[in-house]
Parts: sequence; structure tokens; C-alpha cells
Amino acid sequence: MTASATPHLLLDGIDEPGLNTLPVYARRGGYEVMKDALRRPQDGIVEELKQSGLRGRGGAGFPLGMKASFIPAGDIDKYLVCNADESEPGTFKDREIMQKCPHRLIEGMIIAAYTVGANKAFIFIRGEYMHQADVLEAAVEEAKAAGYLGNDILGSGFNLDLWVHRGAGAYICGEETGLLDSLEGKRGNPRLKPPFPANQGLYQGPTLINNVETLSTIPVILGMGGEEYAKLGVERSSGTKLISVSGHVQRPGNYEIELGMKARDIIEGLAGGTTPGHRVKFWFPGGSSSPVLLEDDLDLTYDFDTMAKAGSMLGSGAIIVCDDTTSPVDVALKLATFYRHESCGKCTPCREGTNWTLRMLERVEAGLATPMDLDRIESVQNQIMGNCLCVLGDAMAMPVSSLVKKFRGEFEEHLEKKRASEDFMLGFDPAAGGHVDTPIRVVA
Amino acid sequence: MPRPQRSPITFTIDGRDVVAPEGTMLADAAKVGDVEIPVFCYEPKLGAPVGACRMCLVEVEGIPKLQTACSTPVKDGMVVNTTAPKVKAAQESVLEFLLVNHPLDCPVCDKGGECPLQDISYGWGRGLSRVAEPKRHFTKPLELSPLIAIDRERCILCYRCVRFSQEVAEDHQLVFLERGADTYVGTFDSHPYVAPFSGNIIELCPVGALTSRPYRFRARPWDIEGGGTVCTLCPGQCNVTHTVRDERVLRTLSRENDAVDDGWLCDKGRFSYQAATAPERLQQPLVRDADGNLQPASWDDALDRAASILRASGERTAAIAGGRTLNEEGYLLQRLLRDQLSSPHLESRIAPGPSRELLAALHAPALQATVPDLEFAHHVLLLDIEPQEAAPILELRLRKGARRLGTKLSVAGPRPSALDPRAQHVLRYAPGGNEGFLKALAAALEGGDVSGPAAAAGIDAAAVSGLADTLKAAGEDRVILYSDALLSGPGADESARALLRIAAALSLSGEDGAGSGGAGLLGIPATTNGRGLREAGVLPDAGPGLRAVAHPGRDLPGIAEGLAGSELDALIALGVDPIADLQGRAAWRQALGASHLIAVSSFLTEGVAGYAAVVFPQEAPAEQEGTLTHPDGRVQRARPAVRRPDGIRSGWWVLAQLAARLGDRTTLHTAGMAFAELTAEVPFLAGLTLDEIGGKGVRWPTLAEAATWPKGTTDLEPQTDATVVPPANGALRLARQSSPWRIPEVAASKALRFLVPSADARLAPADAERLGITEGSPVALSVDGTEISATARLDSRIPAGTVVAQAGVPGGGADELGGAAAGGIGLVEVRSA
Ligand SMILES: Cc1cc2nc3c(=O)[nH]c(=O)nc-3n(C[C@H](O)[C@H](O)[C@H](O)COP(=O)(O)O)c2cc1C
Ligand code: SF4
Ligand code: SF4
Ligand code: FES
Repeated sequence: MTASATPHLLLDGIDEPGLNTLPVYARRGGYEVMKDALRRPQDGIVEELKQSGLRGRGGAGFPLGMKASFIPAGDIDKYLVCNADESEPGTFKDREIMQKCPHRLIEGMIIAAYTVGANKAFIFIRGEYMHQADVLEAAVEEAKAAGYLGNDILGSGFNLDLWVHRGAGAYICGEETGLLDSLEGKRGNPRLKPPFPANQGLYQGPTLINNVETLSTIPVILGMGGEEYAKLGVERSSGTKLISVSGHVQRPGNYEIELGMKARDIIEGLAGGTTPGHRVKFWFPGGSSSPVLLEDDLDLTYDFDTMAKAGSMLGSGAIIVCDDTTSPVDVALKLATFYRHESCGKCTPCREGTNWTLRMLERVEAGLATPMDLDRIESVQNQIMGNCLCVLGDAMAMPVSSLVKKFRGEFEEHLEKKRASEDFMLGFDPAAGGHVDTPIRVVA
Repeated sequence: MPRPQRSPITFTIDGRDVVAPEGTMLADAAKVGDVEIPVFCYEPKLGAPVGACRMCLVEVEGIPKLQTACSTPVKDGMVVNTTAPKVKAAQESVLEFLLVNHPLDCPVCDKGGECPLQDISYGWGRGLSRVAEPKRHFTKPLELSPLIAIDRERCILCYRCVRFSQEVAEDHQLVFLERGADTYVGTFDSHPYVAPFSGNIIELCPVGALTSRPYRFRARPWDIEGGGTVCTLCPGQCNVTHTVRDERVLRTLSRENDAVDDGWLCDKGRFSYQAATAPERLQQPLVRDADGNLQPASWDDALDRAASILRASGERTAAIAGGRTLNEEGYLLQRLLRDQLSSPHLESRIAPGPSRELLAALHAPALQATVPDLEFAHHVLLLDIEPQEAAPILELRLRKGARRLGTKLSVAGPRPSALDPRAQHVLRYAPGGNEGFLKALAAALEGGDVSGPAAAAGIDAAAVSGLADTLKAAGEDRVILYSDALLSGPGADESARALLRIAAALSLSGEDGAGSGGAGLLGIPATTNGRGLREAGVLPDAGPGLRAVAHPGRDLPGIAEGLAGSELDALIALGVDPIADLQGRAAWRQALGASHLIAVSSFLTEGVAGYAAVVFPQEAPAEQEGTLTHPDGRVQRARPAVRRPDGIRSGWWVLAQLAARLGDRTTLHTAGMAFAELTAEVPFLAGLTLDEIGGKGVRWPTLAEAATWPKGTTDLEPQTDATVVPPANGALRLARQSSPWRIPEVAASKALRFLVPSADARLAPADAERLGITEGSPVALSVDGTEISATARLDSRIPAGTVVAQAGVPGGGADELGGAAAGGIGLVEVRSA
């Protein structure tokens, strides 16, 4: 398959001026699928979503049709939530959808809400996406004015209110249950599962929660038919996927690919590869949370199962490329800094493990460590993995552990070099990070 | 609501087949098979598990990832492994992580020796630390409140304290601040965590992060012993264990009894043990000398003096029992009055209440609701009761039912309640409008005229009808929780009849076969053992077992009048100070000034200090021995946790000695003998032994002997029209508020003293504006020439025309306002001072 053969579904005409407004979106056939869907029986839509084989685009890859079928029937308060928190480093695909084609997301949400019987919908958007939130809000107003939102939508008897809720800047609020708590006005901490949101989500009501890209794909699927959509891509990874490519490539950006494309064709073809004279040293196939793959892995096909078999994951579809100028020690330190900062602190392995890992990596970076410390770092990552409440802990442990494992030699070399250098230990405060005092008023 | 019924299932844990109730969390079910799964954050009392600490990970066959045993319900055929290498590794990992930032200052930590973190580290940890990094540091320790210190370094962020504040007490004060490894426990804006139940978090904390300030550094676990008894400071009668070192109580912990306290305590019960060793506590008898001064006296002299007073006063003697008086003491007191002195003038309530036949009907075993009924009811109606004042622990039970089971609450009374925000209906009628309100509600349920009595109570008839409709439509398990105040004062009998009509209309009685046994009435007396004392015969019109007496005695105003005049000469006040504890202080001053007072008391409160001829020092709660009866009929044992100080004797002994000096020939040598005598006299307690009562108590209404309970009135027809609450006419109607912190034990406890209530007068903002009163300004309240000063508090929850004044404050507060106001119905002039 060549790059040029990639069909454009989500990015079709994406750069057309004014696509973010209702008239232009409508001129391109927008909201027609919704109008048709509102006349269809709900179980038929669920069936079609199942047939499409679409797997969630937010990171976990859970089949959309199956999730929708978990929402109990019946006359109870149900909710639809769009996860637009997009905070995974390297991921910026949802931003483009919301900014340039907000109506397709809204259309997808109306269909999804109708399908599961939800009358209240929320878009939880990352706080830093201020412009995109403004665009979305304007689009929601247009949709309301057109009678696509509100009571008795187009005479179907179906009611839907939709709110855009701006997050306050926490990565953990992208985790679906942390998001729900935050939306309820609480501290954004993940909840224990079960119960899953499909049974007890927002305000204890059954809740369908999906990623921006997932929901935006619904009109596409219903437009072409689930069976037709399933023909795109490969076995168990159907359809097209938005890929955010960043790092050491000549043409970083979002690309829509058919799943199953060769990774090399994405990185070297679509994104133009590394600058001449450099080679890919390692790459993250699915955002900063995925274990790194090496240059040799570039010939793997890019789909859910192949990435998993290679010991990594497709995640949110964010490819971060690091060329031969990159120090894995630096990258590991950056990762640990990020996850230590973003850990919500609810569960022990993640709260303490990310903090401890960062402290150890700081020592490694300063050259104040021995190869035994590298063993310890790896062992601590193993102690985090699989033991946490949500997977944020694993999201640090997996890539850090893969870096230490795959570049052990370089880590050791770094230690040697640092020790031999003139500024060894200069400016390093071994007690740093141990002080986090915060005053409490002392009662008289 | 039907209680959860769980059928037994069989599952396998570490190779053993274990039978446990279906749906029990694995962490609990494992115990049935003698397998311990370590936990930190799991505490079923706090509600649904949170799965935060990850200590309880176990392997469940068929599930690839380890599961948290605290949140995995057992199913039939489940196969669980808690010792697999994978599980072992997870346990060691979590413990290693928990200690990354833990200071390990066990040698100077109060928790050392009784610390779950220590125990679990020894039991499941690796025993070796690989942490070479610096730990986080905080200023330590800090005062989270005057009662609680927090060492944030020791905190393992298990969520328990925060969940207690948010989901059990619902005071919403404790929160986590910051995030990740920087998280710490605190309050918004660093306000001290002051709340009625705050001390429970000390007991919940699995490490030494939250410690009791009064207990800090006072003892180590190997220095102490536990003494189990009952808290005798309010009718809630929570079960407690006192921590004792060298015959001194250093700490009070909950002794979980689901049927009584659910494993919680209020701060009064937890911290007021300090009063026993306070310098102001009386340690020997006092006798007033010729100059009018109280002087220390020997026991013989004091008893002789008291006996001579009683010998002289004879049938012109009255007696009031209250406070912490036990069943045995009440029984012996009425025997002393009735048998030795031939006087019928006995009372154990703080205001006149319903007559014997009505009491018998109200407390009939079939109509009796229990504490757990409050949780499982479909609907609980609170009538003129603020649980936080009457029996604080019940508030937590009501909140639990409402939060976890959806139990509906409705609140009716003249004052706002802390439970208003949880209530489906909040009805506020005028102070003194109890009778009218009850008659209106009865009429609404029976289909009679609502508007007349509703108007008399100063409440909208539609609101009463709305409540009645909700109650009728609610499920069959309806419970009415009420206070003594609901049925007191001149209209007590009429109010009681109306309440019984309400109970009948709602089929609250188990007898008519309507309810599932979860319905009924639960009346909370004003004093700890109010119910027990009534049943022991400390009433003007009833003897032991509530049997009729030939010649009824005087009620409280009658006693005060008699003492002030020449009809009565002496008063025995057992555990009660007429001036500090009863209403109409001016009348009582006059009464005591004209008579002889023999008091049994722990402190020199106003009436005791000013008027007693003889004072016998009283035992502290942890020293008391005997029985008391919970408002729901549970007979409980008070057992001494410490020895009495040398100068102090038991109440029963004092009464027995007085009786002997007055010619009684029976001899009592132990509290147990007094109990035996009581059970011989009270038919529904016949045959009950102290062993049977044991550590958890026995509810006598469930015994076969309950059939001997006297039959109460069946004629419930109203005999008069409801007393009309007078129009406010510019003055305000007075409602009393009685703080849970008003008892002398609180003032005498160093740690709790800061909670002694101040003289507040709360009024509606509209009234305040009309009267030119601003928030926090000094005001004067006056009735018939008696005036008190108070601080104005503007409270929009108070209806216009009402002022709520704090009673039991130093100087008297609302109780000082005598006259008609004493009965509840009265107008006060309020002006800016
Ligand atoms: C720490 C963490 C962060 C996450 N952040 C996001 C996010 O920003 N956007 C998103 O769609 N899903 C995110 N997820 C995944 C969500 O929990 C959830 O799986 C997803 O929203 C489901 O939608 P989908 O089925 O459409 O993929 C995150 C998960 C974790 C554990
Ligand atoms: S894994 Fe991290 S982010 Fe997730 S619940 Fe635990 S502490 Fe919070
Ligand atoms: S202070 Fe104690 S109870 Fe509260 S979170 Fe920390 S360890 Fe848990
Ligand atoms: S006890 Fe199960 S996670 Fe804490």
C-alpha cells in the first residue's frame, strides 16, 4: 500500500475554509446521516457499529459497538460524554477535528446519544484548548439554532442537551472515571472499576464515554455502512485512523491512514523521515505511554494487534520519533517528570512509584548512580505495572522500563561519562525533591 | 426496607473450602477461612471500597490481573490464591512503596505497637528497604484541630479520614490538597477541623498520622489495658473501651456495637474522660456548716447529716434523678422515697411529660423502633428533635441510611436541624406549637380537619397535608424519632395522644401485623438513662415497671412550688442540678433557697454550690457500675474501667446507706444485688441476668417477659382544642437550643473546653432588621422582668417570629427565662443591647 492510496474520511476537505460552520458542513452533506439515523431503530445502529469493527480511538481500543450495547435500556437518566481531554504527550489529532470540523463530532454525538438513549451530553475538553473550545461552543449554538439539539430534535421526539465543559489542566482527567469525577465537580481521581461507566458513570447514571475521534467516526460509518467500513484496514483493526506524528521527522502533523499501513511508510513516507544524515533510533508508536520500538520495527504494520505483539501498543495513534541524537536517559527523565507530576496520588504504586523513579533517574542523570540502580529502576517499574488503580502508573512504567531495557548500554555509558566529567556532582542537591512543605494554620 | 439477606456460598481460598455469605467482599470472607488479607484503605463502615492502597491484591482464578480483595465480592466456586508468588510480589511492592516516604519514626510514634502499617510490614513486607532517596518532609506535628494532631509525613494517603468527613459525618471539611506524591490531608483554607464527630478519624487512621492531642505521648500500647463499658453522657449510650494506665483513663475508643453506635463516637464521648481527673471534680463529701460554707466531711458525718434532714422532712421530701443515674440508683431512690419516707414526689424528666397510661402506650414493645430501624426505614420522621443535641450518634445512623440506602427523612420542629439538607420535607412550626402540629398531622392522616390545629401551631395546613401524603405513600417501614421536648409541658398528654393517633394511622405497631417489624416510635429522653429511670419507677405517677401508684406525686413545677412554700422541705437531686439542668431557674432558686438540698454530683454546679446542705461526690462515667436502658429498650451494662478514687462511693451505696439509716432492714452489698432487686420488681425484666446482658446488651422488648408491659391508654380522642401559639406581636417566640456540649464534663475536660457553648440568640434576618440587630451584636432577651444577654446570630433558616436561644450556657442562657417561657410557649422581648 502506498501513502497516496490512503482514503480520506475524517480529514476529507478538512482545510476547506469555513468547514467549522454549519452552512459549509451542511453543504458537504453534514447532518444528513443524523437525520436518517433519528428515524432508525436504535438496535439497528448498534448492530451497524458492531459490524464496523471500530475500536476506540482514545487509547484503550475497546470496540465501540460493544460498549454502546452495554448501556442498559430503560427510562433512566443516561449520559453521553466525549473525552476531549487529549493530554497524552504527542497526541494532537482531536484538536484538529474539533477546530476544523466540530460539527462532525456533534453529529456523531447526537447519533450516539440517540442510540443509547442519553438526553444529556458533555464534551470535556482539555483546558488549554481554549480556541477549540470557543469553536465548539459556537458550533453547538449553531446546531441548537438549527434544531439539531434541544427538545424533540427534528420531530423525532428525541431530546438532547449538550454542554462544552473546560477541564482545569490535569492529564488524569483524560482517564474516563477521573474525567467523570471532575465533571461532577470533584477532585479528578479515577474511580474503582467495576462499576464501569456504562452501568454507573456520571451522577451514577449509565454513561457512554468515547474519544473525539471515535465519536466523529460514527457519521462516517453510518454514511457508508458498517460492513463497508469494516473492509477498510485489517483484521481486528478496521477503518482509518488519525496519526499524530511528531519528533525528529521532516513533516510532523496529523495523517489519516488505513490501519495496517507499514510504519515505515508513515514515518518515512508521509512524515518525511528524519533529517538527512540521521537515523531513527527509537519511536513511540502510541503516545508517550507506549513502550518504545526500534529502527528494526519500522517494517511492522501499524495496527492494534501487531503493535501489541511487538510489546508496545497503538494507543492514541501518536507516533513520536527520536533520531540518533537523542539520549534515552533524557527521555526517561522527561517521561518520569511528566508522570510524577500528573499522578493523581490516589493509589500507592503510581503515587510512590513515579516519584521514586524520578528521584532515581535524577541520580542517574547526575551520574550519582551505579548499574545496580538501573536494576532497581527496572524492578520498580515491574512493581508498578499491573498493580495500579488506573493505568497512569503503567503509562510511565512501560516506556521507562523499555528504555532502560533496550538502551542499558547507553545508560551505563552515561554513568561512566558523568563520573569522569569535571562538573560531576556540581549543583546536584541530594536532598532535593524531599521537601514539599505547605503551611497549615496553627490553632492557638 | 428489607435487610439484605445473603445466602451462603462456597469458595476456595488457599486450597481451603470456605462457606461465606454471597457478595461479601473477599477481604472479609477470607477471614471466615482464617486467611488474613492485609488492607489499609478498606473499611466497610466508610461505604463502598475505593481501591486506593492496593494492599489487598490477590489472584482470582480465571482473571489475568490481580484483583483487589476489598472490592471483589465472593461468588460460588471462586478460587482465590493469596500466597502465589505474583501476589507475594505485589504485597511486597505496595509495602515498599508505602515506606518510600514514610519516616519510620516508630520509636517516637504514638501508634507504634498498635499500628496496622507496622503489623502489615512485619507480616507481608520484604524486610529490607531499597530506598536511597530523600523522603518528603513537612512541619510536624500540626494541630489539625485542638483535639487532633497531624503528622503529614506519616500519612499513607489511605483516604479513610477524608472519606469519614465527606461520606459519614458529611461535614465536608477534610480534603486532600495538592496531587500525586505531594498530596496531603488538610482543610480548605487551613481552618481547624472542628466537627461533632471529628475524633473518629484518629481511630480510623492506620498509621500515626492522626493522633489525639490529649493522648499524645501519654502511654505505649504495652502500658495500657482496655476497659469496656458504655458512655453515660447522653441517651445514645455508645459502647466504649477506655484505655487505662495506672488506674487512670487516658483515652476512649469505640467498642463497636452495630445495634447502638455502628462503631463511631462523638467527640464528647471520646474526650470528656479528662473530666474525671480535673481538679474541679469533687473527691469527698461536703456538708454546709453553720456559716453557710460547704466543708469537707467524712462519709459517716455526711450520711448522718443527710439522714437527719430526711428524717425530719419525711413525706415532705421530693427527689429528682437525672444525668448519668443508673437503673439501680433510680430504683433505690424511689424505694427510699416511697418506702422509707412515704413520699410520692419523684421525677426523672427535665420537664413534665405524659402520664403513665400514655407512656405505657408510647413505649409498648410492639411500637418500639430500634436504632438500626433508623437506617433501614423507608421514611424517618424527626419530630422536634435535633439528633446532634439529643443523641449525637444517631445523626450518623440517619445520614448512613439516607446516603447508602436512600432512606427518606422529613424534619418537623420549631428549629432548624443539621439534617434539613437531607430531608424531603422540612416543616417549621412555631415554638410551643407541638400539640397543634401533632393534632394537625394526625388529622391529615385520618382525614380530619387540618387547618384548625395547624393554625394553632402557626404552620401552613398544606405543608402538613403534604407531609401526611408522603408518609402514607412511603413504604411500610416508617419510624418516628422524637425528643422528650415534643411531649412536654402543659399539653403533654394531648400531644402524646395525637402522636399515638399518628402511629396508629401509619400502622407503626408490629402488633397489627402491618409492618415488617422495622416501623415504630423511638423517643429520645433528655437525659442519658431517661428511659431506664422511668421504668425503674422514678416518676410521680408510676412505680417500678411503670405500675400504677395509689397516690401520684407532684410534677416538677409542683415540686418547685412545694419547696418554695411550706409543703415540701427537702429535695434529693441525684446526678442533676435543678438550676443548671432544669427550666425555670428563677423558680428553682426560690425553691432551693427555702428548703434542704441533698445532692449527688461530680461538680460544684450552680445549684449544688449555692444551696446543697450535703453533697455526695459522684462516680465518673468510667467508674460507674450497673445497668442503664437505651431509648430503644436495650438494657446495657456500665462496667468500671478504673477504680473509684478513695473518697468516692457508688450512688447505689449512698442510697442504701441512707435507707439503712432511715430504718431499712434489707442489706445491699453489691451493685449486682441492687440489679437483682430491680429485676424482681420489674416484671418485664424478670429473670434477666448481668451475664445475659453481657457486652452488647439485651433489648427487653424482644424478651418473652415483654408481654407483662402494662397496657396503655386506648382512648386517644383529643380532649381539648390545640393550645394556640400566641401571635408574636412584635415580640419573638422563644425556642431553646440545648448544645450537646453543655454538660459539666465538657467544661471540666481541658481538651473539650473550647466547645462550651456561648450564649447565642439566632433569629431571622427579617426580624433582626426590624429590631435593628446586626450579626454578632449584643442583644438582650427579656420575659416578665428577667433578662439575659446574648450574641445575635442571623440565620435565614429560622422562621420570622422565632428566636432560638442557647440553653445551658454559663449564666443560664435560655433557661434563665422563667415564667411561661419555661414550658416552651412564651414570648420574649428582644432588643439590641
Ligand atoms: C491516564 C489516562 C489518560 C487518558 N487520557 C485520554 C484522553 O486524553 N483522551 C481520550 O480519549 N482517552 C484518554 N484515556 C482513555 C480513556 O480512559 C478511555 O479509555 C477513552 O476515553 C475511551 O474512549 P474510546 O473507547 O473512544 O477510546 C486516558 C486513559 C488514561 C489511563
Ligand atoms: S495509577 Fe496513578 S493516576 Fe491512576 S489512580 Fe493510581 S495514582 Fe491515580
Ligand atoms: S491521615 Fe491517616 S487516615 Fe488520613 S489519609 Fe493519611 S493515613 Fe489515611
Ligand atoms: S484495601 Fe483494597 S485497595 Fe486498599
